Amino acid sequence: MRRLSRGTFAQLLIGKSIIEALLVTVVAAGLFLATTNPKLHGWLDQADAQTISGWAVDDGNSARRVDVQLFIDDKFIEQRAANELRPDVHQANRAQDDWHGFVFKTPTLAAGEHEVKVYVLHSSTSATRRTLQIVGNPLRFRSGL
Amino acid sequence: MTVTSPLNIGDSAAPLEEHTVELSDRALAGWEIASVASSVVIAEWMAASAAGLSKAIIAIPIALAVLLIIMSHRLRRESLRDIGFRLDNFFKALSLLALPVAVTALLCLGIGWRLGTPINFFRWHPGRFLVLQLALGFAWALAQQYVLQGFLNRRAMIAAGRGWPSVLIVGALFGLLHLPNPWVTVITLMAGLIWAAIYQRVPNLFAVAITHSLMTWFVVSTLPPSALNHLRVGIGYFF
Repeated sequence: MRRLSRGTFAQLLIGKSIIEALLVTVVAAGLFLATTNPKLHGWLDQADAQTISGWAVDDGNSARRVDVQLFIDDKFIEQRAANELRPDVHQANRAQDDWHGFVFKTPTLAAGEHEVKVYVLHSSTSATRRTLQIVGNPLRFRSGL
Repeated sequence: MTVTSPLNIGDSAAPLEEHTVELSDRALAGWEIASVASSVVIAEWMAASAAGLSKAIIAIPIALAVLLIIMSHRLRRESLRDIGFRLDNFFKALSLLALPVAVTALLCLGIGWRLGTPINFFRWHPGRFLVLQLALGFAWALAQQYVLQGFLNRRAMIAAGRGWPSVLIVGALFGLLHLPNPWVTVITLMAGLIWAAIYQRVPNLFAVAITHSLMTWFVVSTLPPSALNHLRVGIGYFF
């Protein structure tokens, strides 16, 4: 058997490092794509002591009604489909029809300031994961109780 | 006099000064350790992350590490006997390992008793016959000890010299590769130190693997299952 030279061995080490770096990159990118849908868009328009509303659309399939979850002060409150009438979203060419709005009735809260976040639910292609993507920016409001 | 870089990889036949050759060898051994350890880390931490793709993807870093180890043995002209696949020193190695194993067993019993854990010697994969599980445990232990002692320990001896520095490297590596499981990390750190020290005195992988399997059996049978979390390591610890 031909003797392996130190130079060839060092090249093997470098090659191994490059393959592993590429592998980690592919896995990281694959994981991002599996857990994130860059085509989910929306906005949290308004939040007060009565209602919380906005809209959400999957640009990849804008006929689909996406599910949204409401969190107040980082506590889960409710999940519902974004299927309320929002003709303005359609008119702005953000959706193919008028029915992509969401409206939550604000629950009874302790007096003081509260933070509202709404997330769109995203299921991975293999259905092994469900992840949340925030809609717009969090909003804060004061409850008078 | 030939001027060479510390790691002259381009021309192995070039005359080198003695101190340059030594440094080159140490650097290469350190690089080999880092490379194999990084493959194990990638495999351990990628498995669940890549579940959306395919878990078979972890075979890639493992295969690369195995290839590297085999090539390294060829480069350094190490025989199976050198590595520790031998029987002539089996009983000598086993006699050196007997005391640490006995102390570990008593320690496990004591900790289990102190924590009120029910001791059950059939808890390690209860769906399998114990003899089969011990045999499988031995095979897995032999594979681990081959990489840990037969490769990493031998390279650590080149990189840091025989004795405590290299023993510490091997023990620390073995412990760190069992993160983030805190109990298993501590246990493997200590066991890794003992095995590495004894392997340096009497290199026999069969004796080390037998005690590895026995100690795993004792640990699983006596320590709280909730703390051991099925001996899961890497990202799998969280799932």
